[in-house]
Amino acid sequence: MAATDINAPAVGPSGIRPKHLTVGRVGLYLALTLAAIFFLAPLYVMIVTSLKSMDEIRQGNVIALPEAASLAAWTRAWAEACTGLRCEGIQVGFWNSVRILIPSLIVSIMAGSIVGYVLSYWKFRGSELFYGLLLFGAFVPYQIIIYPLIRVFSTIGLYGSLPAIVVIHTVLGLPIMVLIFRNFYSTLPSELFKAARIDGAGFFALYWYVLLPISKPIFVVALILQVTGIWNDFLLGLIFGGSENMPMTVQLNNIVATFQGEVEFNTNMAATMLTAIVPLAVYFVSGRWFVRGITQGAVKG
Amino acid sequence: MRLSSRITSRLVVSPFVVVAIFTFVLCVLWSAQLSFTSSKIFPAYDYVGFKQYTRLFANERWILSFQNMLIFGICLISGALVIGFLLAVMIDQSVKWESFWRTVFLYPNALSFVVTGLAWQWLLNPSLGLPELVRHLGWTDFKLNLLGEQKTALYAVSIAAVWQASGLVMALCLAGLRGIDGEIWKATRIDGVPRWKTYLHIVIPMLGPIFFTAIVLLSLSVVKGFDLVVAMTNGGPGTATEVPAKFVIDHIQIRANVGLAMAGATVMLISVVAALAPWVYVQKRRKEARG
Amino acid sequence: MGVARLLKTTALALLLAQPALAEGKKAEVLHWWTSAGEAAAIKVFADAYNAAGGEWVDNGVGGDDTAKNLLASRIAGGNPPQVGQFNTSREYEEFVAAGLLEPLDAVSGPGNWDGLVPSIFQGLVKRDGHYYAVPVNIHGSNWLWYNMAAFETAGATPPTDWDSFFAAAEKLKAAGIIPLAQGGEAWQERITFYSVMLSVGGRDFYLKFIQDKDEATVRSDKMKEVIAVYTKLRDLVRETDAASPGRSWNEATQMVVTGKAGMQIMGDWAKGEFTAANMEAGKDYGCVPAVTAGGPYQVSGDVFVFPKTGNAADLEAQMLMAQTMIDAKVQVDFNLKKGSVPVRPDVDVAAFDTCSQQALQITANNDLIVGSTDMYATADLTGALQDVYTTYWNSTEMTADELVEKIVEAMKAAG
Repeated sequence: MAATDINAPAVGPSGIRPKHLTVGRVGLYLALTLAAIFFLAPLYVMIVTSLKSMDEIRQGNVIALPEAASLAAWTRAWAEACTGLRCEGIQVGFWNSVRILIPSLIVSIMAGSIVGYVLSYWKFRGSELFYGLLLFGAFVPYQIIIYPLIRVFSTIGLYGSLPAIVVIHTVLGLPIMVLIFRNFYSTLPSELFKAARIDGAGFFALYWYVLLPISKPIFVVALILQVTGIWNDFLLGLIFGGSENMPMTVQLNNIVATFQGEVEFNTNMAATMLTAIVPLAVYFVSGRWFVRGITQGAVKG
Repeated sequence: MRLSSRITSRLVVSPFVVVAIFTFVLCVLWSAQLSFTSSKIFPAYDYVGFKQYTRLFANERWILSFQNMLIFGICLISGALVIGFLLAVMIDQSVKWESFWRTVFLYPNALSFVVTGLAWQWLLNPSLGLPELVRHLGWTDFKLNLLGEQKTALYAVSIAAVWQASGLVMALCLAGLRGIDGEIWKATRIDGVPRWKTYLHIVIPMLGPIFFTAIVLLSLSVVKGFDLVVAMTNGGPGTATEVPAKFVIDHIQIRANVGLAMAGATVMLISVVAALAPWVYVQKRRKEARG
Repeated sequence: MGVARLLKTTALALLLAQPALAEGKKAEVLHWWTSAGEAAAIKVFADAYNAAGGEWVDNGVGGDDTAKNLLASRIAGGNPPQVGQFNTSREYEEFVAAGLLEPLDAVSGPGNWDGLVPSIFQGLVKRDGHYYAVPVNIHGSNWLWYNMAAFETAGATPPTDWDSFFAAAEKLKAAGIIPLAQGGEAWQERITFYSVMLSVGGRDFYLKFIQDKDEATVRSDKMKEVIAVYTKLRDLVRETDAASPGRSWNEATQMVVTGKAGMQIMGDWAKGEFTAANMEAGKDYGCVPAVTAGGPYQVSGDVFVFPKTGNAADLEAQMLMAQTMIDAKVQVDFNLKKGSVPVRPDVDVAAFDTCSQQALQITANNDLIVGSTDMYATADLTGALQDVYTTYWNSTEMTADELVEKIVEAMKAAG
């Protein structure tokens, strides 16, 4: 619809802006505040717990601010917490996750966008069927296909390496990536494409000079989805990455699942927050792009 | 030029077609094939007919897991749709600090199920979490153990899931609301139609495709929903929060019965396709009708 | 299939063509001993292996299920670690049958393992005359642990049978102490069930139940007695300890350590928790083997297996590892840390505490010991039975008769 104007801000709110504060407005803000409390409570409790000492946690007031806030649990979680013979905290996992995330992001998003482009403008016999297959693929639980995939990966000598984990994220991320890119491209006016073709632009030129410059919002959506999906993955990293590439989530599990004596809630919460920091940052920074991107991409399909 | 571009496009897409066929057709078919065998840890090709399926449907834990998935699915989908839609409508009333509200409602989506599970487990901890807080406030004999009671544990898991998923529905609905033509609002206001009626009779039907997208995305996490259950209850207390995905995984490895696991997986997949096929068909028809 | 095999052979050929790594005896060890006490135990192996000229590469993954799944996936996928951990059970028998594990003849023959390895483990680590796994310890799963100070405060006497157990529980309750610390995970409820079954029913009853899957045994009056005690325990926990569901075993042990709770039914791995809290067996905490003293002792343990990698240097490292783990001195040091007792009878046990001394005496007598359920039944059946016990433990509606029926059903379904 508004495709020629794609980088303009989304259409404004549909509600009427009242001239002064009414009872209804007060009720509205009250409801929003209550909802915000519900949504923020777990985050708040995790943060305050991570700043408390175990003595204070035992007193049992989960929402109280810490009496003597301390980052001790955070340093412990980051650099000292033990799992097995290693006492290096989750910092190793953090860097492993970064090494997994960056190539996986680039490869999987590019793959999704190229395939989406082909499915929108270079339809081939069976392309609808291929698209249907990808839709179906989105619903296949990983656990069902993991076993044959392990066999193939070890046959070609990739199993247990960084490339393996990048490839697996790309393959399993393909359905959802293709889905959103195809939907986005299909909303663009076909004149755009035809005009460029007449000007003699080839396959890659069209993609690079015509589509990419106007695809920013959908790339942001893809980025957000993939950062969350790849960073939060546990199973694939554990199985395909090999012991040198264990992602942060695996180490979080190791720290949380194993302890001696008392459960150190503060360290656990700090480790949990540290693990969540990257996707949270991406949401906080690019969240405003998200709604806009969805408006133009995922929905209109 | 024209031809070569076409060939290039075929060349570019072909590896992906091959990979997709391998992963989503061959691997799935292979799994289905194993469900007709008595495979333990390794694939064995001694066909036993539908024996694994009869065993599966005689298995109480499977039946319970399946029921749990349905209950969990209904709670999550309806809860997240209602809350997400209401939040979007509220945000859409030209409220101040719009991006603040949006971020607050959306951020749980960034968290992994493991993180969500830990956070809620901690909040609901009967001796140190919220129940203890209520006791501190004066109700000294207050007892609430949502995760510890068989009857309520599944709903506790659902609350955590709704908490995590509502933001996405909100974002989708908000996008939809922003796409609605402003003229409609003007027209209904002139006609004196109450706001809630406009929402009910005009806006909600217009958001149909959005709700569809949301339902598809939510049902994906219902079927695959495994991490959250493992993180919060590990299927307990007793078997109260067992789900099919966990049944499949337990039987692939710990219980060393790949045949039965694959029968379960196949049933899962078939039921998802059966539940969504009519929806997809309706949507497609509608789109074709539109042109 | 043909192409896959061709690819595989090529890959294998390429692998073999690589020169063996010069650094030699490097071994990645995949295990699940990640808690502080467990880590201290596995460090004994690591240090001994490094001292013997090897290079230990530690890969501890939290949670036995997670670690076992990973190990199984990697063996099946053709990219195994040099050393991996399983429980002493039938869970790796398919890997042996498929020829994926190295036979240990080079170590077991000269080391006279036939004379070393306890007879109850023989059938699980040996197949067709070859050893495929190194058993490293003998754990007992049915112990009762109690806090002596708590018993003194409550004026309770250590139980020797179920009547005295419940009498002690009453006294503890009256003194405001949680009588029984129970973890709320399915496997812990299973341990409790079999502890009761062994002490009430005895050795033959247990074997008829799990080995023969004898329906008459399940429907017997003795079984009703077992269920009655199990129910009484369940009601005791429900009444006194609402926070039990979901609790891990070491959290429960911690309650006994601090005196918040009086007793716990748990395997002897719990001892690591007492030791870490500087508590002394026989002085600060007490132990009753087989829960009610005298009943059969249920043994379990851990083994390490050595998956075939097709690499000569790996094989050398693996044999050195097997040699190290079964070494007499290493066995003593390791088991002191682990809370279990050595697998070989020819070691100096003077350093072990009173609880372990009792375990050593019992395990020397074959008539007093039985294996854990996974030594007699498939993982599938033991899992299905565990589902039944945990459902009963957590249900408010299920009756004892229904429990019996469900056990019968599970046994029939598993065939």
